[in-house]
Amino acid sequence: MSLKSPSTLLVAAALAAAFAVPAAAQNIRIGFHAPLTGFAASDGKTALQGAELAVEQINAAGGVNGRKLELVVQDDQGKPDQALPLANKYIGEGLKVVISGSYSGPTRAAAGVFQNARIPYITAYAIHPDITRAGNFMFRTSFMGEVQGRAAVKLIGDSLKKRKVTLLTLNNDFGQALSAGFKEAAGKFGVQVTSEYTYAMGDRQFGSIVASVKKDDPEVLYISGYFFNGGPLVAQLRAGGVTAPIVGTEGFDTHNFISIAKDAAEGVIITTSLDRDTKLPEMRQFIDDYEKRFNVGAEMVAASTHTAVNVVAAAMRKVGADDSVKLREAIAATKDMAVATGRIGFNALGEVYKAAQIQIIKGGKFRYYAVIDDPVLLAPPTK
Amino acid sequence: MYYVELLLVGLVWGCTYAMMALGLTLVYGLLRILHVAQATVFTLGAYVGLLVANHTGSLAAAFVAAGLAAGALGPLIYRLVYQPILDKPPFVALVASIGVLIAMEDGFRLVFGPYGLSFAKNTWFTTSLRFGGLSLNLVQIWIAIAAVVLLLLFALFATRTRAGVAWRATVSDPAIAESFGVSVSGVRHLSFFIASVLAGVAGVLVGLLNNLVEPGMGSVISYKGLAIIVLGGLGNVPGTLLASVLLGVVESFGTVYLDKVMDRDAIAFMFLIVVLMIRPQGLLGKAH
Repeated sequence: MSLKSPSTLLVAAALAAAFAVPAAAQNIRIGFHAPLTGFAASDGKTALQGAELAVEQINAAGGVNGRKLELVVQDDQGKPDQALPLANKYIGEGLKVVISGSYSGPTRAAAGVFQNARIPYITAYAIHPDITRAGNFMFRTSFMGEVQGRAAVKLIGDSLKKRKVTLLTLNNDFGQALSAGFKEAAGKFGVQVTSEYTYAMGDRQFGSIVASVKKDDPEVLYISGYFFNGGPLVAQLRAGGVTAPIVGTEGFDTHNFISIAKDAAEGVIITTSLDRDTKLPEMRQFIDDYEKRFNVGAEMVAASTHTAVNVVAAAMRKVGADDSVKLREAIAATKDMAVATGRIGFNALGEVYKAAQIQIIKGGKFRYYAVIDDPVLLAPPTK
Repeated sequence: MYYVELLLVGLVWGCTYAMMALGLTLVYGLLRILHVAQATVFTLGAYVGLLVANHTGSLAAAFVAAGLAAGALGPLIYRLVYQPILDKPPFVALVASIGVLIAMEDGFRLVFGPYGLSFAKNTWFTTSLRFGGLSLNLVQIWIAIAAVVLLLLFALFATRTRAGVAWRATVSDPAIAESFGVSVSGVRHLSFFIASVLAGVAGVLVGLLNNLVEPGMGSVISYKGLAIIVLGGLGNVPGTLLASVLLGVVESFGTVYLDKVMDRDAIAFMFLIVVLMIRPQGLLGKAH
């Protein structure tokens, strides 16, 4: 069929409208953006899968107040410049709530737009502090970097009983926030940062850092980063003969980290939100269902988007899905809710409190190592 | 000892840059094209090498396969992308080249997945040789050997063979070379072949060194390669090699001493700016 003549176009548009409108009116549409292409595409895919699983589960159980949920997915490529048009598109389409399954760059750029439009915006796992500071419509279901850095200090000082630490810090907001939190809490646990090296997002060759770590000879290494740079980094450290224990972050919480670093990943300990050996039913069910549905192990990123969808659905059950201001109030009132990432609630800033799960890699799998449930140490900022 | 180790790390990085940049400078010398898409050839080499190594367990087979695949792709890019637009201004070819790079990067992502792959058994990577207080793994040693051997072979080719003479004649004046019976088209294909084999082998070596092969692995090294050929004095082969090694060493020390100030890739371009301020014609380029 040629679409050149205006009349054909009109007919096509009318047909499209006729089929599209009734479906759209029935479903509750939730905005969801993630980096589906570009450098962060792997986390984007995982994030989307976590959200999709949540929607499928909720819909299979009858939906929300009798209506089915539907994700309106957009690709932000992990780039801040994609976030504004994407946010405006959601607002133009009249969506009442949006979830970010993306990194800090795009999320931070979109936050102000959603705040101005008074649309609740839930950040699943981006960690930049300014996101929730954009206003009272902003929420975050993951740890802030500082909080996670503090958890790592307690782990190193109290459980591992090590003192001299070398930080290998990824030079972006994620790495810097972790490093700042770590250094801030170090003194309280007698931990001493003897050296710190930063590296760039795109770096995969760490020969000079490996040589420096060997020279410094620390008792333990604290490494921020993602699987695609942390994986090669850990492998190169171990191949270079560095034997000190390695403590990582939720950035390593993916089977891709293990499949890249292979044997070098053994014994690496991470701070994260997902306990593979959990007894909490909601977390257990998420882990099992995710593996069944997608044929890969569950990951923090997916657990976080799964959590965000469930937080939204719970709020909609209370106040309906059509008033974004009421939705905001209902989300803000979330308390001690059991979800895939544990028991969560929001503080006045929209930040989450939850326990930090400490996992260790054993036999190529993440296993329980410890849990840090310390409301004072892990308290997120309130302003 | 620590400084010697940093120096060695930098020399090895420099060798990988040299293998990439030599091809870029060859193509530039011949056609005045900034062949950014060389990075695609590099990445293809790395993927083919990894798949063959993981499948057969043989690194030798991996290098041969990677060299062949890369050696086929390079001339193909010339034939399909550059040749039809040779009469256009150079920036047209540059834009086309960037287009190929972007398209192929997402192509790799579609075919091999976004996650990156690592070698099932990377014994070169896990085997270290220790001399005194220094340790180098076998990948680093092989990178140095491969770079030296391949570049020597290239030098022999350029100075001692008929094809090499034809190649040099075409670089200095294609019209006159053609009137003496040199097949200019053949020389161009050959140059792309040589540049691509070098890039493909470098791809496998860098994949082994990083213990990771991923869709975007070529783009940084390619843009850096452009900086290097400018540094060396455009089209100047010894200058390119010198610039590669210097840049590797500057980066190795810079990633440790300037890490709080700038990223590794920023160091490369900072170095470029500083050198061009002092020697606008490049390290070994002749002033006009």
